[in-house]
Amino acid sequence: MASHFSGVLKLTDLDDFITPSQECVKPVKLEKKQGESVAKIQIEDDGSYFQINQDGGKQKLEKAKITLNDCLACSGCITSAESVLIAQQSQEEIFKVLRNNKLASATDQVVVVVSVSPQSRASLAARFGMSSSETGRRLTSFLKGLGVHHVFDTGFSRTFSLLESQQEFLERFQRKEQDKSALPMLTSACPGWICYAEKTHGEFILPYISTTRSPQQMMGSLVKDYFAEAQGLSPRQIFHVAVMPCYDKKLEASRPDFYLEEAESREVDLVITSGEVLSMLEQEKVILNEVKAAPLDELFSNVNGGELLSHAGGGSGGYLHHVFTHTAKQLFGEEVKELTYKTLKNKDFQEVTLEKDGVVVLRFASTYGFRNIQNLVQKLKRGKSPYHFVEVMACPSGCLNGGGQLKPLPDQTSKDLLQQVERLYKAETASLPEDDTRVSDLYHSWLHNVGAERARQLLRTQYHGVEKISNGLIIKW
Amino acid sequence: MKDALVLVERFTAHPDSRCWHVAWNPTATLMASCGGDRAIRIWGKEGDSWKCLSVLQDGHQRTVRRVAWSPCGTYLASASFDATTCIWKKKNDDFECLTTLEGHENEVKCVTWAPSGNLLATCSRDKSVWVWEVDEEDEYECVTVINSHTQDVKLVVWHPTLELLASASYDNNICVYKEEDDDWECKATLEGHTSTVWSLTFDPSGQRMASCSDDRTVKIWKRFDGAYMTWKCVCTLSGFHERSVYDIAWCRLTGALVTACGDDGVRVFKEDSTADPEQPVFSLAAHVSKAHSQDVNCVAWNPKEAGVLATCSDNGEIAIWKYQDDHE
Repeated sequence: MASHFSGVLKLTDLDDFITPSQECVKPVKLEKKQGESVAKIQIEDDGSYFQINQDGGKQKLEKAKITLNDCLACSGCITSAESVLIAQQSQEEIFKVLRNNKLASATDQVVVVVSVSPQSRASLAARFGMSSSETGRRLTSFLKGLGVHHVFDTGFSRTFSLLESQQEFLERFQRKEQDKSALPMLTSACPGWICYAEKTHGEFILPYISTTRSPQQMMGSLVKDYFAEAQGLSPRQIFHVAVMPCYDKKLEASRPDFYLEEAESREVDLVITSGEVLSMLEQEKVILNEVKAAPLDELFSNVNGGELLSHAGGGSGGYLHHVFTHTAKQLFGEEVKELTYKTLKNKDFQEVTLEKDGVVVLRFASTYGFRNIQNLVQKLKRGKSPYHFVEVMACPSGCLNGGGQLKPLPDQTSKDLLQQVERLYKAETASLPEDDTRVSDLYHSWLHNVGAERARQLLRTQYHGVEKISNGLIIKW
Repeated sequence: MKDALVLVERFTAHPDSRCWHVAWNPTATLMASCGGDRAIRIWGKEGDSWKCLSVLQDGHQRTVRRVAWSPCGTYLASASFDATTCIWKKKNDDFECLTTLEGHENEVKCVTWAPSGNLLATCSRDKSVWVWEVDEEDEYECVTVINSHTQDVKLVVWHPTLELLASASYDNNICVYKEEDDDWECKATLEGHTSTVWSLTFDPSGQRMASCSDDRTVKIWKRFDGAYMTWKCVCTLSGFHERSVYDIAWCRLTGALVTACGDDGVRVFKEDSTADPEQPVFSLAAHVSKAHSQDVNCVAWNPKEAGVLATCSDNGEIAIWKYQDDHE
């Protein structure tokens, strides 16, 4: 099976993050029987194992199984990392949780929350010929019909990511003379990029990467901390699913940094792709156009007047746009209404500059795709990077073109589909992060109350260089 | 088959290790060789014999698998199992390391310069093919990374006149790439070999390509340009090689084909000029069964002197041969 992960992550090799080791050290619960019986194990033709007792009796032995959480939390497993991740972070898991919920007692039930990314919505909107907001309403209806309790929009948590990025850049810019690795600031929302950076360039590149959490993980904090407390639930009582445009996000959700040790719960329990949502619809024999619309869950959605809002600056979050305009205003008193992008080597490498009195005072870039990331890092290593800020994404054309988005129909070209998705995405009105009163209220009510250290844990993250493992047993020939 | 391949000279190039590759510079005044001893050696003619002019020892941490001269002859690129590619610049009789290209995950198997001189291609066991661009300031940047193969990529080679790139792989296929929009894409996948494709060479016109494989055959492919570019196998030479065929070279001057084989032999094939161009016929014109005492890794035609050929082997030697065409 060809890998679904972004080109950057493919080259990086998933196993370096979830390393298979020679033996699975996870203890599996066994029903131990007392006695000194010595048993023989017989393997049948169909591969099943039977224990033959001394008295001749046969007992079928259960297959040893471990959960994804246990698997990924420990040092290694016996199956390929990629197959574990794909198989267990799938729509099957969601159906299982929803099924269990129906059968469980009130105390054992979990609250199921699904956070949908704007890019996934746009992808589904293109397929079903609806606006992005209408798609959001239909999805809300479909998911709630299955037993999901809340359907949120990561455009809301993205507001936090944009505000934090703006803040962080200003801090870095102020200390650029004292700290040589303050600039350029490299964005952190793309897990394909992060994993590649951690593995291939390790300690050299990590100080440049923004510590701001991605919208997915910001929502993780919102749901498993603020929302959980507000609802009087423990994080384990909430099952949080994110719908994302790529598979790399599954890896991001399983990072140890996003695991709540004390609560024994992941901030995002499961990530499914836009394509996997389509599979869910097909499995349930539901056509989204025929579903009755349901009102959006406005609590954690970027909405105004019942319509979902977007952010300016392209389909990958708009980090360059928002950090540039904010910095231009705060540090240089310039109101930038429209950014002029200059295409450099190729269309996935663009530059924006701010000039004051004929001098370039800000030089920002966006580099999408592996070849451009390569060149960015190599230039940085040689001390020849002219940028203050770079928006880095692993996929050519950005998140709207992620590996988990819906594929073109037989009569469509990939190019046409991407243009259609972009149009639907941009059709949502852009909102300004600074103007979002609900977000600023949360900054006060939720974050100020918990203190600076806890707020940092909730809004920021950290990175770890991955050592190249030269164990011959793990090399794939 | 009355043509002969006569040994002109034989010498040890890489003592106590394999010689992986030997390459003539564009003016055929020098040769560069590389091997398992992590060294690159530059050879020049002193009278009638070849002398080692320079040893580049500290460029790589592991085996140097391939060396390639730039079309202008001023630069040398070396690909190594240490996952890097070094670019060397000629300074009088010596070479200095200009820059090291990093990026491949593991062993780089091949490096080759485009005829235009400002593009370079590398390929690796990491299954990818990289294209690099060099600017006026000798700065190298990655143009693209292509992942069309599913296994180790053994070789990359540029078309003699068009901006087309071809690659050979352990996945038994050959891929041909072209620039489309602002990125490179695999435009054709040539299937047919039943084992690793070790090497590829274009004919002087660029209309055809010859491939050699671990399946002990050589295949000739012809290019068809229609709405899409396609390549069809128009000839298969089987039954000639007893082991894996590691290298193949098509002479720009005479049109003769030469192969390097794991059975220690070197074979020259000539094309029958009376055959139908859609169904070419190649016959074995010369064969040295024990050209070296071990596997022959590389064959290279002298670009200036018709019929002169260099070979190198696992036994660390380089040999120079003269192909005497009896029908002159």
